[in-house]
Amino acid sequence: MSARLVQNFRGGRAFIVTATPGLEGALASTLTKLGVESTYPRLMDGKAEIALATLSPERDMLFIDGDLEGAMEIELDPSTALPPVPVIGLVGVEAPSRLKALVGLGATSFLRKPVHGGAVYASLFMGINQFQLRSEQGQRFEALHQRHRARRAVIQATLLVMKRTGLDEDQAYAQLRHESMRMRQTVEFYCEDLIARHPRAAPSSLRPDDAKPRTGKPKAM
Amino acid sequence: MTAHYRIGVMFSANGPYAVVARSMLNGALLAFAELAAERDDVRLEPVVVDPCGDHAAYRRLSLDLLTSGIRNVVGCYTSSSRKEVIPCFEKHDGLLWYPSHYEGFESCDNVIYTGASPNQHVLPLVEYLAAHVGHRAYCIGSNYIWAWENSRIFREAFGAVGGTVVAERYLPVGDTDLEALAEAIVDQRPDFVFNNLIGTSAYAFFRAFQQVCARRGIDRAGTIPVASCTLSEPELHEIGPAAGDGHLSSSVYFSTIQTPANLAFTAAYGRMFPDGPAACADAEASYIAVKLLASALARAGTDAAKPVRAAVAGQTLAAPQGEIRIDPDTFHAWLTPRIGRSTADHTFQILLEAPQALPPDPYLVQSSPRLAVPMRPPKLRVVQ
Repeated sequence: MSARLVQNFRGGRAFIVTATPGLEGALASTLTKLGVESTYPRLMDGKAEIALATLSPERDMLFIDGDLEGAMEIELDPSTALPPVPVIGLVGVEAPSRLKALVGLGATSFLRKPVHGGAVYASLFMGINQFQLRSEQGQRFEALHQRHRARRAVIQATLLVMKRTGLDEDQAYAQLRHESMRMRQTVEFYCEDLIARHPRAAPSSLRPDDAKPRTGKPKAM
Repeated sequence: MTAHYRIGVMFSANGPYAVVARSMLNGALLAFAELAAERDDVRLEPVVVDPCGDHAAYRRLSLDLLTSGIRNVVGCYTSSSRKEVIPCFEKHDGLLWYPSHYEGFESCDNVIYTGASPNQHVLPLVEYLAAHVGHRAYCIGSNYIWAWENSRIFREAFGAVGGTVVAERYLPVGDTDLEALAEAIVDQRPDFVFNNLIGTSAYAFFRAFQQVCARRGIDRAGTIPVASCTLSEPELHEIGPAAGDGHLSSSVYFSTIQTPANLAFTAAYGRMFPDGPAACADAEASYIAVKLLASALARAGTDAAKPVRAAVAGQTLAAPQGEIRIDPDTFHAWLTPRIGRSTADHTFQILLEAPQALPPDPYLVQSSPRLAVPMRPPKLRVVQ
């Protein structure tokens, strides 16, 4: 878990999606105190007019009124189930269906309507930091997943070295690890590269699907 | 026609922080007395209650005041007492005029804050300490929200200028057995102590620290000064002459400010309360709160919370510390930070002061980094 939590929201932009701007309580006035600028996107035929692709997760956040049905459609990231920017749900009718809809939009925090000024900082703190933490976890998960996939190449490369040098498995792996460190590469990347350069030498059952030489040079994690 | 309003005045004139609270009560009563002579449009009748430092009593007395028809109350010194009574003010739509410096991160619609925000007390102190005293701090405090948060703000700001906190210790409010703590501090030899102890605990600490330093032949004020955001004139009397001098304090008001407005204030205060406790920053904030309240009531024509709050937004006052005004966004006050060093005659020599009043920044929106400083677990632990 990252220890660098966001505690100052100055310069942020809040888009408050509601049918009754200004009547949701003390939200906009409290956001002003926290250095966050508020806007109320127009609702056209029940849909909020927001260009999600232009928003930045570092600066922008969405407050979505859970009592509106279908005002927003947000495509969540498949690995993290997160929206493009932090979403905080405004809860009026506290029914499971409404809460489920907000979770479906990727809400990481909630505020009860009418919004009480004393609850806004805590909700923002939770919503934005949960978004950051889950994003970081998603990135870490993806990196680990890639390394996991690459373990096939490590096994192939170990067998290759054993076959060529007569070393035993531990010694062959130690040699690969030593060489990858010398090249300042992860052992997985080094092995994939080695196998790609010697595809015929690898046992056919363990040959990688894509044996093209790789560019780039990922550092060890 | 004169409008008559009953105003609650709620300070713990008895209990562990009674000395400062009595000074606050005096500041408020002085303002009521002056208003009676100055204004004929509003007449304010103070209804004084004393919770004696007991949280349950704060809650009960707030309820009594508000259900008796009173809508404005000047009161509270500790943040824990303020947080205790806020739900009651919200429920009954009253206004609490809170006249003390505090740790920020609050902006309740039912509170008008006339004391200093953290950017007006702890941040100027950090700047002064890093530039003039040293970079190794020992933090101590009373075990409640004020000390926890003020130390957290201090730690982050001090770390950003290259400082380190060698240790942090918190003690129950009212704890007066502080010799072991004083010994531990002297053993560590920090460049200074950052003190957030309040009331009797603070007085006991200053005396114990003096004794330990004297026993070990250490020039206390020159070697390990104690820096606070709370230390005030009436407390120096309580600490006593031997242990009270040479301490640093960050405050928006000292009784030694040499302006006509303050000379008039201290003279009037001295005449009305010859037996003390002496005037201090929180007494001035209480005085300011009552004066602002009277103007807001006159302007609003009612004592209902919403119109009074609207009336006080942006209001200015020629206060003893200089001109102050209420920020219309946060309902905190623009105040002038100062750094003082305590003297043997129970006052402060003013070392530095801001050229003008600073805007309040209760959430440190303008004066703190986006990301929190990570709390690192210690690399080593004591095993024996």
